[in-house]
Amino acid sequence: MPDTKGHLLPVYILADESASMTICAQELNAGLVSLFEALRAEPMVAAKVRLSILGFSDDVEVRLSLADLRNEEGVPSLKIRNITDYGAAFEDLLTRIPSDIGRLKNSGYLVHRPAVFFLSDGQPSKSGWLEPYGRLTNKATTAAAPNIIACGVGSAKAETILQVATKDEFAFMSKDGADIGVAIAKFFVALTASVVQSGRSLTSANPELVVEKPEGFHMAIDVV
Amino acid sequence: MIKGKLPFGNARRSGQHRQLDAEGDPGIPAARTSPRPLFSDASAAPESSAWHAEPAVPFAEPEGGKQGGPPQWAPIVVDEPIVDFEPKPPTTNSYRPDTVFDGWSSEYLTVRLASVRGYSHRYSGLPRQDDAVVEFHRGSGAVLFAVADGVSSARQSDVGASTACMTAIATMRRQLDTGRGMDLTYVAEDAARSLTAQAAQMLDQDQVTAAAVEELLATTLVAGYIAPSADGCGGAIIQIGDSSAWILAQDRFYPMLEQKNDPHAEFISSAVSPLPRIPEHLAAVEFSLCSGDALLIGTDGFGDPLGDGEGKVGYLFAENLRRPPPGRGLAHLLDFSRDTFDDDRTLVAVWPRPPKPGVTK
Repeated sequence: MPDTKGHLLPVYILADESASMTICAQELNAGLVSLFEALRAEPMVAAKVRLSILGFSDDVEVRLSLADLRNEEGVPSLKIRNITDYGAAFEDLLTRIPSDIGRLKNSGYLVHRPAVFFLSDGQPSKSGWLEPYGRLTNKATTAAAPNIIACGVGSAKAETILQVATKDEFAFMSKDGADIGVAIAKFFVALTASVVQSGRSLTSANPELVVEKPEGFHMAIDVV
Repeated sequence: MIKGKLPFGNARRSGQHRQLDAEGDPGIPAARTSPRPLFSDASAAPESSAWHAEPAVPFAEPEGGKQGGPPQWAPIVVDEPIVDFEPKPPTTNSYRPDTVFDGWSSEYLTVRLASVRGYSHRYSGLPRQDDAVVEFHRGSGAVLFAVADGVSSARQSDVGASTACMTAIATMRRQLDTGRGMDLTYVAEDAARSLTAQAAQMLDQDQVTAAAVEELLATTLVAGYIAPSADGCGGAIIQIGDSSAWILAQDRFYPMLEQKNDPHAEFISSAVSPLPRIPEHLAAVEFSLCSGDALLIGTDGFGDPLGDGEGKVGYLFAENLRRPPPGRGLAHLLDFSRDTFDDDRTLVAVWPRPPKPGVTK
């Protein structure tokens, strides 16, 4: 058994880079900046997070991979592209997440179940995304199945966001006019702290990630 | 070393361990032999001859850092250190020191205790939520111990940890005083009752729900005793939550209780099931301790970085706990700095004292 170098939480931002995101791209990138600032201000928390930022459109483009934010000088930008292919996004995670987990373990870390933050402003351009999504989130087929927290902005539909989130309480719709960047930063800080500090899963025989509703968002279940 | 049925299979008798070594068990890793002083100035090492560490693992050299004093006062760095900073004062309703330590010997047992505030709590201005109590019972010669880790989500878990420890010790003392034998399940239940009473007082209510107690004072607890016997020493221990205990024998750590993280599991979890909840199947684990071994009781702030004891942290503690260090030395050891391991850390260690010639217990 190799030396245990630490306990890590892999976090993925899976952000919609479709053309319709043009109007809120600035806010999303500002949200990334807020997230980076929040985590850099909490080095104890940042030390336990490995952050990946993935932009999805026709395919997935990696903006940041398994980064320790304490070592990152800049903040990557999301780039607006074409369609909204949910299927391409989940197909990518199907191979990426197990590979990443393996890398971290081989580096001597123990790993918490990954958390994926899914951000989209609209409906999927193609059907068929539920098939790779199902394989990704089924622990029987994907041992590294992540918890997915889905955040809908703009014209995203609450029903779809609920389908993407792995739990109803992980599905959020932003309020009109909310500062998405600030809300996302708070959301990530709360998520990280809840996992690392043993959270509130005291009474559960099968403890799960607990996510608080971020300020400026509705529960999607309340919107449906 | 462990008598009776164990809750899981990785605790081993030290006698068996030694026999396995003779039969080809890998034993102590060869990497634990190369010389490199843990303390940069040997003349400044603690006075106990137990501080003879010559680690093979290349720890970063201690630096004086931003604080005054000789460099050996700086935290022991294991691999990558935690960021250097000045701790914030803890926000509490009562005095809660950053670090406590204790140490003494009875005729047959040597005891050391240390509890240090985690780097995360120092950084954020939260109090140390761990606590520990040790007590010598003169009538029986037993050492009573209790270690608790207040659950971070409980609002005053530091009070919960202290209450659980003090109650556990008091209940064990009463049981020994009355001579009716030790019932550690009752000790755990009594600790839970005391948390409920404490919560009622703090909330100024006649009755409180279990959920309210949990939200205010939830804490883990490992409690038990060790006493001299005709053939060495032994005792029993009970566990609620993810604090744990080990026997350190020939530089290896043998878990006595359920461990928080299975190193072979796909993922780890931070969840615990603490007091005031009492597990449905709660049973004490009996153990015996050989001369030269050490009984260790600690919170997950120690257990997590220790892992299976085969890594750098295991090496650090195995090297320095072969014999009892000074109490303040244990506190310094426990306050090591390693990136991502920033929880409160508490450790109680007990060693059997070498028998005096011609003296029988």
